[in-house]
Amino acid sequence: MPRDKIRSSGWQGAALVAIVYVDFLIFAQFAFLKRLAALGVADTRLKVVMGAMAAGGVLLSLLAPRVGRWSSSRLRLRVGLAASAAAAFFSLASLSFAAALAVSFLIGAGLGLLTVTLVTHLKEWTGRWNPFFAAGAGTGVGYLVCNIPLLFDASPAAQSLTGGAFCLAGILVTLFPERALAGQGRSHAESRYTLAHALPAFTALVWLDSAAFFIVQNTPALKSATWQGSTHLWSNGLLHLAAALLSAWLLRRSGLLPVLAAAFFALGAACLLLLDPSRALLASILYPIGVSLYSVALVAYPSLLAAAKSHAERGRIAGWIYAVAGWAGSAMGIGMAQHLKHIPAAFVAAAGLVILIPQISSLLRRRAREVALTALVALAAFFLNRISAASHPPQPLAQVERGRQVYISEGCINCHSQYIRPHTADVPMWGPAATIEAVRREQPPLIGNRRQGPDLSEVGARRSALWLKAHFFDPPEMNAGSIMPSYGFLFRDHRGDDLVAYLRSLGAADVMKRADAEEFWQPEKSAIAHADAREGERLFQGHCTTCHDARGRTRLTWQSDFKRLPTDLAHGPYVYLLLPQPQDQLVVTVARVAKFGIPGTDMPGHEYLTDRQVASIALWLSQIIKQPGSKTGLQL
Amino acid sequence: MSLFLRTEDLLPEGEAVPVAQAAWHGLFWLVVANAVGMMLAALLLFPAGNRILGEWTYGRWMMVHLNLELYGWTSMPLLGFLFKVYGADRGATVQWCRAVLWVWSAALGAGALSWLSGYSSGKLFLDWSGSMRIFFPGALFVLWLFLLIAFVANRNRKKKASLWATAARICGLVVLLAVPFTIYMASSPTIYPAVNPDSGGPTGASQLESSLAIVVILLVLPFGIARRKAGRSRAMAFSWIVLLAESVLCAALGRADVSHHRPSQYLSLGSLLVWMPLIPAYYSAFAWHANTRRWRLAFLWWWAALVVTGWILFLPGILDHFKFTDGLVGHSFVAMAGFTSSYLIFVVVQLLGEGGWIFNRARSFFFWHFGVIAYVVLMTAAGWFEGSDPAFTIIPGALRNLLYALRLFAGALMFLASLDWLADATELLRQPAEAPAAIPLEKTA
Repeated sequence: MPRDKIRSSGWQGAALVAIVYVDFLIFAQFAFLKRLAALGVADTRLKVVMGAMAAGGVLLSLLAPRVGRWSSSRLRLRVGLAASAAAAFFSLASLSFAAALAVSFLIGAGLGLLTVTLVTHLKEWTGRWNPFFAAGAGTGVGYLVCNIPLLFDASPAAQSLTGGAFCLAGILVTLFPERALAGQGRSHAESRYTLAHALPAFTALVWLDSAAFFIVQNTPALKSATWQGSTHLWSNGLLHLAAALLSAWLLRRSGLLPVLAAAFFALGAACLLLLDPSRALLASILYPIGVSLYSVALVAYPSLLAAAKSHAERGRIAGWIYAVAGWAGSAMGIGMAQHLKHIPAAFVAAAGLVILIPQISSLLRRRAREVALTALVALAAFFLNRISAASHPPQPLAQVERGRQVYISEGCINCHSQYIRPHTADVPMWGPAATIEAVRREQPPLIGNRRQGPDLSEVGARRSALWLKAHFFDPPEMNAGSIMPSYGFLFRDHRGDDLVAYLRSLGAADVMKRADAEEFWQPEKSAIAHADAREGERLFQGHCTTCHDARGRTRLTWQSDFKRLPTDLAHGPYVYLLLPQPQDQLVVTVARVAKFGIPGTDMPGHEYLTDRQVASIALWLSQIIKQPGSKTGLQL
Repeated sequence: MSLFLRTEDLLPEGEAVPVAQAAWHGLFWLVVANAVGMMLAALLLFPAGNRILGEWTYGRWMMVHLNLELYGWTSMPLLGFLFKVYGADRGATVQWCRAVLWVWSAALGAGALSWLSGYSSGKLFLDWSGSMRIFFPGALFVLWLFLLIAFVANRNRKKKASLWATAARICGLVVLLAVPFTIYMASSPTIYPAVNPDSGGPTGASQLESSLAIVVILLVLPFGIARRKAGRSRAMAFSWIVLLAESVLCAALGRADVSHHRPSQYLSLGSLLVWMPLIPAYYSAFAWHANTRRWRLAFLWWWAALVVTGWILFLPGILDHFKFTDGLVGHSFVAMAGFTSSYLIFVVVQLLGEGGWIFNRARSFFFWHFGVIAYVVLMTAAGWFEGSDPAFTIIPGALRNLLYALRLFAGALMFLASLDWLADATELLRQPAEAPAAIPLEKTA
């Protein structure tokens, strides 16, 4: 590349931002902690070592602008990068406590000097690039690199070496001459958000971020749902990059306010979702978005948006932001996570208040009428409902009634009907039909209007309590190809058992009526004639082995809960078949069991298989079932 | 001359702002509900994605999707109509239009949170429960109170309106007062409408009743937003006579649980077919803004499609095949996304006048209609297969997945169209009020 082309380009700015983030994230926040653990530094000694890092960070963040009087920004950057690289390499040695203390201080001091110097002079390194884009791209790439599985899952030594190598590469980047820009161009948004507003907002965001990070790192269930596996890591990295670029675009277009608000909503929602491990996956999507949104702002605010008349003033703003929001906010977040093990919803709300104060006050000023009327109606509704509830205290509900409420709460009605249409194909599949009077006795009737799943009005006559429970945990395992979501979370409290009790109550009185109807059922003769044992074996593998194979997942998971452990059909015993039977009779008997299950047991029916499919399963089973007096099973 | 409005009311002046605000709120909820709808359609194709939702499961999001479409998109634009008719968009009351819209939207937002948190009455489209069962009707009552104040203020402020116009407005207020209480009571688990014992769905009589309520709106609304053309219209007079006759028929049918196999049910519902030609004839008796042409044609075509398919799908044999399937989801799309949406946009464009450009971009118009038509065709096909074999949907195969993937694409087109409208409505609200201009009417006889 021609030298003047390099000179006029602005890649150095983005590269330096990315390098600083990589060193901070993968070495200072990650590898060094693991290294200390390996060195046996824990508890109070760990706090002292980490305190030294914070002290170094705060000290140099605040001192960096003053040092600027006696040295060039390029020299200070090189010193910061060299110190950070040296700290990374020193950390590989077998450190005594005192040495660990010194290295920790060096990490903080290097990062303090580096970050403040870089953002104070960022415009000089971004050349023709839009400085917001440079900040966004640098931040996004930095996070993306740290989430590359090869690096994320590497040993602490490899991560430390990577951090150090990146810092050395940073020194090389500074060898390219920067392109100084005339003046410091003010952003339209810079005067609207003063340091007095920005500092608490950034502190609150870093606090939330650090607490969430610490909790995920130290909770195996959350960690496995968020940061494990290469797919997770790549998607995290790409989310970081996309959010960082979005943040840059928003900062340039609309200023700091909407970015901090969006970052809070994403990060705050992630913190609340982390309270419930079943929502950790959604939290893992929102967390990187929120972090990258504010991380770009953390670079762009002091370097581009804050109103500053000189480099020294800009440096002082950056110093306060990184000292207070960066180092102190991070320490507070980790401390809270260590003590509480979770982020209280009230704290998230308080953080939101701090971050959104400018928006809230602006909203109250401009839309006082709207806010007042809305609040008035909402409060009136709330209190009227409280008064109504107080005058009609709810009666304690029986388990079946509670289960019905769960059915309503979960919106089951949107996928399942509870209405068997008389004289239609509904009756043999899900029946018998109920009278309209019986339907009307329900309050409200839960007829529904769409069947993404089967009708449930008689499900209690077709499925056992165990089957229903196992199905709620893992629908596709119990019903091959099922699109129903897992409702395992309902069993963390009484809701799951209540719902099972309710479903068991549906059609419970019709068990015998249904059994009588099934007794006379047999596959169409043409279905038996066209049955294919190989297809039967394939269907058996998909639908039946989960219970009828010695290693079947459902069989192993629920083995102590079955009324009777399902027969391993390769070996028997075949207690429900009354062997020996003539082979054609055996096919019909097995087909009936496959189609409708065995009443009074945990064996379900497979109502959606066609007669031919059921006959194929029956044919294949009749070939492997060993009848008394036969050594090889029946041959048809 | 319009029954409700004066000529100066029809000018596209800066005072169309409350109408634009109402349209913006409606469009906002349309975008949200469509985004949720796309997520739900994607989950039916990739059920593993349900894991991400945690306790905010598919079933809870369905409540959000359905209720936001109904109480957000298909309701809020009509607030603009009410503001205009009762003069709330003029004088001192204009300052409060936005506050009324905020209360309504806040009730919807709070309602969505309550459904996601597992609060529901268990009644489809009437899921309001707990505090929300008071909050939302409360928002409707606030609207009513606001319209009453605007009505009284305008009577004092302006020249006296005609006796007919005043009587019509008072009748409107009486009907509107009943709405919040009706919603509150209808959300009660103890009340349930007549059931067709052979389908589990509504009876022919109840479908006729709700269809006639729509017809009443179709007949009344033009008086509030357009001027009559010169001369008498036979279609107009005939329409009111037919409405009266059908109302008598509806009352005679009663509200019993009656099967659709009864000839009295499907023949009575068939009487609605008369509205296919009558509504276009009725609307041709009014002078419409030139900007409405595209949407007027659209809503009239969708109306014809709705009336015909609604009746056919109720016929014995056909309803038995399609009940509980995607076929009826497709039909509800004809009703809501096809007819109702086109009609609402037509009304808003008429009220906005020149500002109606926000709905007239060719790309969003065709994206929307292509999406709706594709959706209806795909769901009808899926319903046809499903009617023969319920396992078609319950245990998905390649064909079902293909149809659902195409359905997701159709939904994405509609989402993009709604996003386009919302962006343009936002732009419209940012524009400074323009000087009044002459209203360009279509050159129709």
